[in-house]
Amino acid sequence: MALRELASLEKYLGLKKPNKYSTQGDKKVPVLQNNDADPLVGLVTIACHLVKEAKRPELLGDGAEGRAVVQQWLEYRVTKLDSHTEDTKSILKDLNLYMQDRVYLAGNQLTLADVLMYYGIHSIILDLAVQEKEQYVNVARWFDHIQHHPGVRRHLPPVVVLRNRLYTSRHH
Amino acid sequence: EESGSMALNLTINSNNPPLGALLTAEHVKDTVQVSVEEGKDNSLHISDSVQFSDTNSISRYLARVAPALGLYGANMMEQTEVDHWLEFSARRLCDQPDLTLALGDLDKALSLRTFLVGHALTLADLSVWAALKDQSSWPSQSKAFPHVRRWFFFLNSQVPFSSVGSKYASKKP
Repeated sequence: MALRELASLEKYLGLKKPNKYSTQGDKKVPVLQNNDADPLVGLVTIACHLVKEAKRPELLGDGAEGRAVVQQWLEYRVTKLDSHTEDTKSILKDLNLYMQDRVYLAGNQLTLADVLMYYGIHSIILDLAVQEKEQYVNVARWFDHIQHHPGVRRHLPPVVVLRNRLYTSRHH
Repeated sequence: EESGSMALNLTINSNNPPLGALLTAEHVKDTVQVSVEEGKDNSLHISDSVQFSDTNSISRYLARVAPALGLYGANMMEQTEVDHWLEFSARRLCDQPDLTLALGDLDKALSLRTFLVGHALTLADLSVWAALKDQSSWPSQSKAFPHVRRWFFFLNSQVPFSSVGSKYASKKP
């Protein structure tokens, strides 16, 4: 899973030469063997490295505060979203509240946090019923926006998100 | 029509600048040459026999001479949606004493949308944003309409909106 994500991220970033990855341990943690340096271990570490390699520093956040928020969501991705210890419903509920007044996870532009959270949450959103997508309306809107962002979707199938409300007129 | 290759001249009423038209001109400026002059009335001069004076008509024309920018949507369906919102901004947001119902409808539409039409910026966003920016009562009402608020302040933060907003909106009486 993580290896396909890293391959998709390389393409999104426009990196010409695909890297070779291996995995480590039961949890299949991705490893990037660096030619001259020590190997890089872990999804977020490697993803940040690829962003720097592609010279796209804006994807790591704008200003000190923006960078901290991006790191916070990258951490959230690997600790809460990937661990499955947290209940899916409570993740969706928290994220829905957070996204109420936001278009992207950090600041007013797309960052690596949006891309990796989108890849990570895709299977959860794919399984939601139409009514549930409307219940977590802010998550659904953010997800639909990111999956239509040019070049991001790659290996993942599109998820149908209705653009008009069917069930209620309540706001949350 | 060779108008796309020649410079267009937009004259604006400096006491009441047409924000939607100015915003559209700002968006198309790398494709279409538009000069802006201050005067008494709003008018986009196309030729001696053709001029547009309504802010939405000016925006429509500018979007059509720069089709590659996609400001009029990506297909006929989206084009019709854009027309809907242009009409909405003119009839339900401009010169209305009470915006509550219109804002409620707008809020519902924006709950599942980042932009009003399709997945990118269109004239719908420019026109509705401009109409709201003109309303002195809007910022104080924004708490009751969280989706409109998110969308409005997101656009506010983007470059053509912030520059047009600070340059012209402050000139309003």
